[in-house]
Amino acid sequence: MDPTSRPTVVIDNGTGYSKMGFAGNVEPCFIQPTVVALNDSYLNQTRASSNMANQYSAGVMADLDFFIGDDALLRSRASNTYTLSHPINHGQVEDWDAMERYWQHCIFAYLRCDPEDHYFLLTESPLTAPENREYMGEIMFETFNVPGLYIGVNSVLALAAGCSTSKCDLTGVVVDVGEGATRVVPVAEGYVIGSCIKSIPIAGKDVTLFIQELMRERGEKMPPEDSFEAARKVKEMYCYTSSDIVKEFTKHDKEPAKYIKQWRGIRLKTGAPYTCDVGYERFLGPEVLFSPEIYTSDYITPLPALVDKCIQSAPIDTRRALYKNIVLSGGSTMFKDFHRRLQRDVKKIVDARVQAATALHGGDIKAKPVEVNVVSHPIQRFAVWFGGSVLASTPEFFAACHTKAEYEEHGASICRVNPVFKGMF
Amino acid sequence: MILLQSHSRFLLQTLLNRVQNLEKAIELDHHWVEFDDVRYHVQVSVKNPHILQLSLSLPTPPLETVFVGGLPFGAIEAIKAAYGVIVQILDPPRDGFNLTLKLNLSKLPQDEENRHTLLVKIASVREVVLGAPLRVILKHLASRTVAPDINQFVALVHRPNESFFLVPQAEKVTVVFPMRFKDSIDIVLATSFLQEFMESRRTAGLSNAPPCLWSQSPPLELKGATDDALSANAGFVTFVIFPRHVEGKKLDRTVWNLSTFHAYVNYHVKCSEGFMHSRMRRRVESLIQALNCAKPDQEKTKKTSQTRSLKRLSLKDSRTNSSS
Repeated sequence: MDPTSRPTVVIDNGTGYSKMGFAGNVEPCFIQPTVVALNDSYLNQTRASSNMANQYSAGVMADLDFFIGDDALLRSRASNTYTLSHPINHGQVEDWDAMERYWQHCIFAYLRCDPEDHYFLLTESPLTAPENREYMGEIMFETFNVPGLYIGVNSVLALAAGCSTSKCDLTGVVVDVGEGATRVVPVAEGYVIGSCIKSIPIAGKDVTLFIQELMRERGEKMPPEDSFEAARKVKEMYCYTSSDIVKEFTKHDKEPAKYIKQWRGIRLKTGAPYTCDVGYERFLGPEVLFSPEIYTSDYITPLPALVDKCIQSAPIDTRRALYKNIVLSGGSTMFKDFHRRLQRDVKKIVDARVQAATALHGGDIKAKPVEVNVVSHPIQRFAVWFGGSVLASTPEFFAACHTKAEYEEHGASICRVNPVFKGMF
Repeated sequence: MILLQSHSRFLLQTLLNRVQNLEKAIELDHHWVEFDDVRYHVQVSVKNPHILQLSLSLPTPPLETVFVGGLPFGAIEAIKAAYGVIVQILDPPRDGFNLTLKLNLSKLPQDEENRHTLLVKIASVREVVLGAPLRVILKHLASRTVAPDINQFVALVHRPNESFFLVPQAEKVTVVFPMRFKDSIDIVLATSFLQEFMESRRTAGLSNAPPCLWSQSPPLELKGATDDALSANAGFVTFVIFPRHVEGKKLDRTVWNLSTFHAYVNYHVKCSEGFMHSRMRRRVESLIQALNCAKPDQEKTKKTSQTRSLKRLSLKDSRTNSSS
């Protein structure tokens, strides 16, 4: 009955999607949107408007009447009794009630495990207030009675995903382009350099909105209520990163048959099928990250420039190591050739700076060229989850967790600090 | 979700994915654990994409239960009856597991509905295997007989090193659960939950439900069991099952609900704790609001033109900072 003999439960809650599963596996068991559909109708019903049995059952078991993930999205579209709520915004948990219910369903309905039997690994974004960690710990230890908990920073876990037995490099820059927020986080020896974290307000959701806008402007026949979902599917299936948008435009115009794809969808309300053409959106969508001015005038720094700025603001002795290990994570980095484009653009900026420095000295002193390397691997979509799974499979993990005994002795404040452990070395 | 579902959600998802992409060869090697220490392992190799190997490990039985060949009695017959030709039991099972099944996905029935029902049944393999002895006894109850060579009372495993007891008779079967919880708060909540369970049986609409009793001390039916088996910190729950509860389709659901009763109570105890937390948070918010109202209004008097222009400047500052 020893919890350390069973695999740890790894749950990575992001703004858009949550990945949950057991440690030791290569991929998570479930990837579900982080959304809860609650039934609030019992609060507002009067006696006359509904039948007695309905109200009685809603009132008695109303706190159990909710859905999460894909089921929640389906239910809220099908009927009006369920209201959607997103507990996580920009990486931070804002609604703890909804989050607790979300975890309750994750553990009992999806993973179907007994929380008393497993250690848990949860994730948080860097720069979360320590109070959030306390609340997390309180919910896990008090409600679910978990024997042990470790709250990992998602950027460090994304770096750990690239760890193998031979080399483990917990130094690098993590470019996390998720659904709600894009962050560039430098990590040195497993510790996040908090003052150098840069974030962009453009993320996966904005790419989808841009594609939706482009398709609408062109007059594609998409049903308005499904257009966001259709745009999202188009983004996931057909988008790719180009190296030069002018050339892409000419390529598309010269050979339309090769580049323009058809999207076939089914309208949810009526079941009628529809088709639309997908053309320039294929490369303009991901281009938003590299040239934000085509999407919004509020923000114009492209992603490679931001990565460079972030590294330049880091301590000078870490910079070469950071350039060498730029790691991608998050669903919106899965576009084809994203890493190549990012590497090329960052290298351009870095080379220009090195040349300028050499020119200042009149060519006498040559600076050693800086190696820029963007690492990508097929599990980017759930790189953080995978890193958590890898870390939780090491034997030293259990010693680094907070245990229930410590919680009962000292209270929730033990969760404020989580040791970064280099279990891989 | 009020009742725990009988099929494993992840297993069903994996099976459906495989059936839809039968020709695509992928490598799959996944293990997971369910409540009551039931472990699963699923393996698909690139060489034979039609074959899926599923291994199941059951909770360790305590001394008074009997596992024949590593499986509860009646399990092998139940598997053959439920799955037919699609499933082949591999002997010996995979190392560390009690049972390994080889599924041939190309032999599934062609029509959509039958196929889905069968896949759901495969995903409920835990119910079929662990619930097999209970099913045998209840099936005899449906025909109002007693199974041959069964003792006065039978102990069946439902959690690691813990069992529940059945007293089978021709006209009824009495099921007794000793309830044990580790955490002191859980014990208190479970005790009041089970007492409510007993009380609510008396309401008008539930007269067809099995009679339910809760008592702090072991009931008389368990005279003769070991002392170890009789220690329970949240009391003993007794259900009396009549033939009308196990006829036809109800047999499956009764078997599942009885064999996972402890997990069900555990789940509801945790839900109650979660609900109490929401109410505590709401209370804290209302108290904080009351405190905020009580603060003296100092900020409102300072609205001179200087401070207003200062404020505007600082807003602009923050915007330029965030866009850099």
